[in-house]
Amino acid sequence: MATIEVQRQILPILANPNQGARFYNPELPQSEPFVPGHRTCAGCGPSIQYRMTSKASGDNTILVGPTGCMYVANSSYLCTPYNVPWAHTQIGSAGSFTAGVAAAYEALIRKGKWKGQYPNIICEAGDGSASDIGLASISGALYRNHDCLIICYDNEQYANTGIQASSRTPYGGMTTFSPPGPEVPEGKKLFPKDLARMMAAGHPHCYVATASVGYPIDLMNKVRKGLNHKGAAYLMVYTPCQKGFVYETPRSIDLGRMVVECGLYPMWEWTPEKRAFDYSFRPASIRPVSEYLKLQGRFGHLHAEHIANLQKFANEQWRMVGVELPEALIKAADPKNQINMAAAAEAEVVAETV
Amino acid sequence: MPTVLEKKKTVRINGCVASAQAAKYADVDVIAAYPIRPYTATMMALAQMVANGELDAEYIVADSEHSQLSIAHGAASSGARVFTGSSGVGVQFAYELYSPISGSRMPVQMMIADRTLDPPGDFGSEHTDALSTRDMGWLMGWACDAQEAFDNHLMAYRIGEDPRVLLPQMVCQDGFFVSHITGDVELPDPTQVKEFLPPYKHPYPLDPRHPVSHGPQIMPEQGPPLQLERARAMEGSMAVIEEVHKEFGEIFGRKYDPWVEEFMTDDAEVVFFLQGAHAVTARFAIQHMREKGLKVGMARLRTIRPYPTDRVCEVLSKFKVVGVIETNMALGSPASGGALYADACAALYEAKERPLVISFMAGMGGEAIVLKEFYWMAEKMMQALKRGKIEKRTHWVGFEE
Repeated sequence: MATIEVQRQILPILANPNQGARFYNPELPQSEPFVPGHRTCAGCGPSIQYRMTSKASGDNTILVGPTGCMYVANSSYLCTPYNVPWAHTQIGSAGSFTAGVAAAYEALIRKGKWKGQYPNIICEAGDGSASDIGLASISGALYRNHDCLIICYDNEQYANTGIQASSRTPYGGMTTFSPPGPEVPEGKKLFPKDLARMMAAGHPHCYVATASVGYPIDLMNKVRKGLNHKGAAYLMVYTPCQKGFVYETPRSIDLGRMVVECGLYPMWEWTPEKRAFDYSFRPASIRPVSEYLKLQGRFGHLHAEHIANLQKFANEQWRMVGVELPEALIKAADPKNQINMAAAAEAEVVAETV
Repeated sequence: MPTVLEKKKTVRINGCVASAQAAKYADVDVIAAYPIRPYTATMMALAQMVANGELDAEYIVADSEHSQLSIAHGAASSGARVFTGSSGVGVQFAYELYSPISGSRMPVQMMIADRTLDPPGDFGSEHTDALSTRDMGWLMGWACDAQEAFDNHLMAYRIGEDPRVLLPQMVCQDGFFVSHITGDVELPDPTQVKEFLPPYKHPYPLDPRHPVSHGPQIMPEQGPPLQLERARAMEGSMAVIEEVHKEFGEIFGRKYDPWVEEFMTDDAEVVFFLQGAHAVTARFAIQHMREKGLKVGMARLRTIRPYPTDRVCEVLSKFKVVGVIETNMALGSPASGGALYADACAALYEAKERPLVISFMAGMGGEAIVLKEFYWMAEKMMQALKRGKIEKRTHWVGFEE
């Protein structure tokens, strides 16, 4: 059978990774595939991510939006914020619908039914879709190695439905499905699923990375690396949710940095060519988790022992990426060296009256 | 139309392979497979065709039926002609996708080889799997043999992809009776298919050159107009279905009534009303009974969505007693038997002369309906005719005296 070779896009990598949150970068593309006209909250981490991601991808892009905030709050009928083709799909269909789009373009270009460069195909799945209901569909797409990028915009909860725990919700995180009470003072008892590592381990031929809105250039470069990689790529991006995390609106980017600095969101890349993790990313400073936790209402009920548990968890993650722990962080993992959050006692009283 | 049809040939294949052949002749771009008996054989045949280089398509082994249908949805949304399929509980695992696919007006095609639902894990054919999705906005009809299955696939693509319709299609055949019984199937010359089935062209695909948003969130008052459009597309498909069947007959030489096949109904007093493979045995049984002087006939429903209400009313109101052979289960439904009864009765409601209607639970579990059961059912109908009323609405054939 005579077939046409599929031409793929190669996007340039931007200079200055890891830095540059708040300065003008002349290398940034002018195009804005994600424009105003949506109804996301002020300071919305996922929508900041959406803008950066689509900007990095450019105009020859197709976006897939499984059900989640970025479907419901973005895509108001007759008032779309997407300057590129976008399609909603079911919350469990993140990987499968995207695979369908990718397969269609492979076939249509090869068979001469569509002419042009293979588009960048990006799926924007929330962590509920990516870590729970759509996990198998995403694993299927990665395993089959469709040429696409699957992003998990990780706001650590089902935010669209009114803040419910997902398997990405951190230990101690208060949600409407993990409320603190006299019997369960910490709220969420389980530690989160290590989703990105699971994707890298299970699909070693894929480019997999973690990123955060706190490091925009790094995020955009990882998007481009994922898109340039011929085959499937997976990116998990920390995207704070003001509504669910309960913090001061202008601090989204700060949180995006602090979560990395306190060790709760390790930044790494899985390089499929080397079959190895790249742990070279180092934040400007390293902090105890309490500095990150105290900015958010969702952790306001935590007792000293819970904070110590989170510090222990963070310390384990630091070790995994090869960071030698400062003495202060080892001490901080001992409950004796922690104090209850300001709202902890109050939360107990409230819980008893409810 | 070309005068020489060199490549036309007759082959001996089963329904599953006939469906795979139809997908090949339709030059599908994306195939989404997942194994479940008995439809699996269709996907096995397609996998071999792709491996042999006979068909250029993306063949995707999905991780579930839900993913199969989502892959099909994504591919159709991007402008590809898509083929997928399932059986039994697999049809239901994908249930979430049926409404989104028809609602986004994507003409996905799905082959169904019927299988009973669980429990108890029976491979036999009952139509409940596909029928449980019948109101989701998919065009739906049953074939009674492999040739008809092949033909239905080609016609369904043409109907569903028509810009006046743009609806997905479920092309159904009974598991085993059609899917696994071989028969002579005439495969057309590719030029005939080219003439009949133009390339798929959705008016608003996901194409970066013409950005569109598919399936945005809506306000409550914005929903009903969209639902009305979908309902009108389903209603409006009836004219297209008739047109396409006519053209199919002209090009391929096989003429089908798009709605109801009548068999020996001219002077019939009582008729069997059914769909699918049991029509083949019913025809034989009817001839047998006719030799004994019984005025029996058969009306076979070929398309159930859209339901040919007027046509069913016109056909069935000619008779004194109608015996609906269900081959499906609708627990707690109006007859407390199968689903076909309710539709048939609704269609007959406005008739001047209404026949008596009985629902027969026959062929359940994928059992063949044998001659003596046809006699038993005919006897029940004759008794009702004599008495002027039915004994009861539903009979479980083989479980009663």
